[in-house]
Amino acid sequence: MNMLASIPGVLDAAVLAQASAPAPMAQSQLAHYMFISAALFAIGLIGFLTRRNLIIMFLCTELMFQAAGVALIAFSRFHMNMTGQTFVIFILTVAAAEAAMALALVVLLFRRRESLNAEEFSEMKG
Amino acid sequence: MSNFLATSDLSSYLPIFLVTLMAAGFAIANFFITMILGPKRDGKVKGETYESGMVPMGTARKRFNVRFYLIAMVFLVFDVEIIFLYPWATTFPNLAHGDSNAIIWLSRIFFFLLTTVVAYVYGYRKGVFKFD
Amino acid sequence: MMDRLAYLWPEIALFIAACVVMVVGISPSVATRKFAAVVAGLGVVAAGILAWTTTPSGNAVTASSGQVLLPGLALYAKVGIAIVALLLLLLKPGTVDRAEEAAIALGVQKFDALRTNRAEFFSFFLFSVMGLMLVAGADDLIWLFLALELTSLPTYIMVAISGGAGREPAARAQEASVKYFFLGALGAAVFLYGFAMLYGATGSTNLNAIHLSLTTGGVSGLALAGLLMSVLGICFKIAAVPMHFYTPDVYQGASPSVAGFLAFVPKTAGFLSLLLLASAVGWTWAPGENGLTVSGGGTSLPEPLRILFWVIAALTMTIGNVLALQQKSVRRILAYSSIAHSGYMLVGLIAGPGDGSFTKNGVAAVLFYLFCYGVMNVGTFAVLSGLERKTRDGQMSEIDSIEDIRGLCATHPRLGWPMAICSLSLLGFPPLLGFWAKLPLFTSAISAGEIILVIVLGLNSAIAAFYYLRLFGAVFLEKPEAGAGEVTASPFVSRRVAAMVSAALVVALVVVVGQLTDASRKAAAPKAEPAASATIPASMNH
Repeated sequence: MNMLASIPGVLDAAVLAQASAPAPMAQSQLAHYMFISAALFAIGLIGFLTRRNLIIMFLCTELMFQAAGVALIAFSRFHMNMTGQTFVIFILTVAAAEAAMALALVVLLFRRRESLNAEEFSEMKG
Repeated sequence: MSNFLATSDLSSYLPIFLVTLMAAGFAIANFFITMILGPKRDGKVKGETYESGMVPMGTARKRFNVRFYLIAMVFLVFDVEIIFLYPWATTFPNLAHGDSNAIIWLSRIFFFLLTTVVAYVYGYRKGVFKFD
Repeated sequence: MMDRLAYLWPEIALFIAACVVMVVGISPSVATRKFAAVVAGLGVVAAGILAWTTTPSGNAVTASSGQVLLPGLALYAKVGIAIVALLLLLLKPGTVDRAEEAAIALGVQKFDALRTNRAEFFSFFLFSVMGLMLVAGADDLIWLFLALELTSLPTYIMVAISGGAGREPAARAQEASVKYFFLGALGAAVFLYGFAMLYGATGSTNLNAIHLSLTTGGVSGLALAGLLMSVLGICFKIAAVPMHFYTPDVYQGASPSVAGFLAFVPKTAGFLSLLLLASAVGWTWAPGENGLTVSGGGTSLPEPLRILFWVIAALTMTIGNVLALQQKSVRRILAYSSIAHSGYMLVGLIAGPGDGSFTKNGVAAVLFYLFCYGVMNVGTFAVLSGLERKTRDGQMSEIDSIEDIRGLCATHPRLGWPMAICSLSLLGFPPLLGFWAKLPLFTSAISAGEIILVIVLGLNSAIAAFYYLRLFGAVFLEKPEAGAGEVTASPFVSRRVAAMVSAALVVALVVVVGQLTDASRKAAAPKAEPAASATIPASMNH
């Protein structure tokens, strides 16, 4: 620790002070995060609508979940409260539960049809 | 939001960009340097999959037993549970010594851990832990 | 802390019951396994009693303990949910593990914990109901998101395992589950992103604080975008238009006992959260002549949101009813009718709370309609699950085609009459419960000045008459098919009981309709002082 601190710029007082009391985020900086998050969401949505492999489709919905997570963390820093970060922890949990379920479904379907193409699952119509 | 991509803000990412560039450059350079400098001796044995020095058997494109999936699920319960322990553990020391709320905080997290126990009891009865 | 727990006792009861069921349901002893359904029933009854006795409402709700926008909502919704959930539970025995249990009883097969689904099925039922009750008590977007997911996630599995042993029904149930799950995940991602934007616009996830921020600071573009996305995502739960495609396939593929569950539980969760969001953004209460009124009169939702609701409502009703006309499968008819009913209820949401009296209160109308729809709907699905025929590979499966219910009043009167009564009630035929449920939707929309929407609603009710009368005529007027002997009553008596009980309720509840509407009016009433001036804790975000 001391050795690290002796290296200039690694753990000097200014950095530590910043870590304990972060400055609020500027609106222009927030825009960068919003841009990333919107792009992730759009990629996920487009992927979901165009791809036909069930696993890829599921990954696309996960991408959309994480897009919301990025937005929440950026907003959390922007508003200087922890609610957004708390939300993200819960989102991760729900995403894990959804992943477990998606994989279970995929295993079940693959055993029956030997395929993961969404087009194969269109027996019912009308 | 008018200065949406103002360069003054992006300039703070310059070190990250440089490090990324250096990392990629190092990897690509090494790849080409070994191609140019390294001696080349090809053979059938050399092209084989490395299996800790043993002669590899069977094919890698094999389906795993679905039991591995069950193990993964049991792990996932634990894995996700831990995310919630961290925020708790970082805020618990903030309580003053002898605070009467401490016992409530502690019992809450124990109740939460108890739910994992329920999941494991369920897994045990379902036969997830029978390795035969 | 204890004031927050006061909202959770019913859910805690359900949680304990679900854990017990999950462990007890996997047992080598048949008697213990069968006990799982009883434990589930006890859990729901206990939750209902606890909801009735412990849930705070009215002025007992404070901004630090719950949402003060609709402070009576939790009590009304949780008691209603418990009643309908008990009816739904009666449909559940025999849905999973039927062939396995028969083989074990014959001694052909030994008990294998990995091959039975009973424990999961009943505990998922309880978890889903628990999620629904949590939605009713939600005062925070994080809570709302978790509760909505807790409502939905178990239903995906319930659909997947409800197909039974026959090859064809099982394949259809799995197909239904895939469609349901993937669209569900998409819907969840969309409303989650909407929630993130709402948080970004207001700086809080607490509904009271969001209400305060939006009504004092105005609705910003970001907040509006967040609201629109939230509504679109929640449309999946209520099977409304942009996200309704899955409904017919899922209701047809899943067993009717699970389809009846899907038509009530996720739909109610969706409507409750729409009510919470709409009351967070608009409906600023102010003292008026008749108690409390919305300031400015009529609906005070932001105009883009009102237009979105309007378009969704009109399209949902029309598409649901028109497409239901050409169906041959009873399950698909009921699925399209479920879509149409969502459209009807959205009319009440657009009308808003009016001046607080029942005839002008669209929110109370929605809450009342949800309960009535739950009761009527269980009846129709109970009839379908109470009848079965052999599939090609010799397994028994529930009926689907409208031919199979011809002359049901003559052949199986105990199932035929409930079908006749419930389909008339869904149509909104006067003296039955459905009529009394639909009436306030009309009156509240008229008093809110939504005349065109009322005309659309009236036209749709007329279209709906065609297919409901077709169901009614099939069971009541037509002669049984020549090969009607193939359709037999299900050996699970509780399903028949559920059909008869809900038909009896459809008739009997008409007597106490005054009390029920009064309860729903109280559920939709604001706090005695305007919510906007209620004290919001300085910081909900530490």
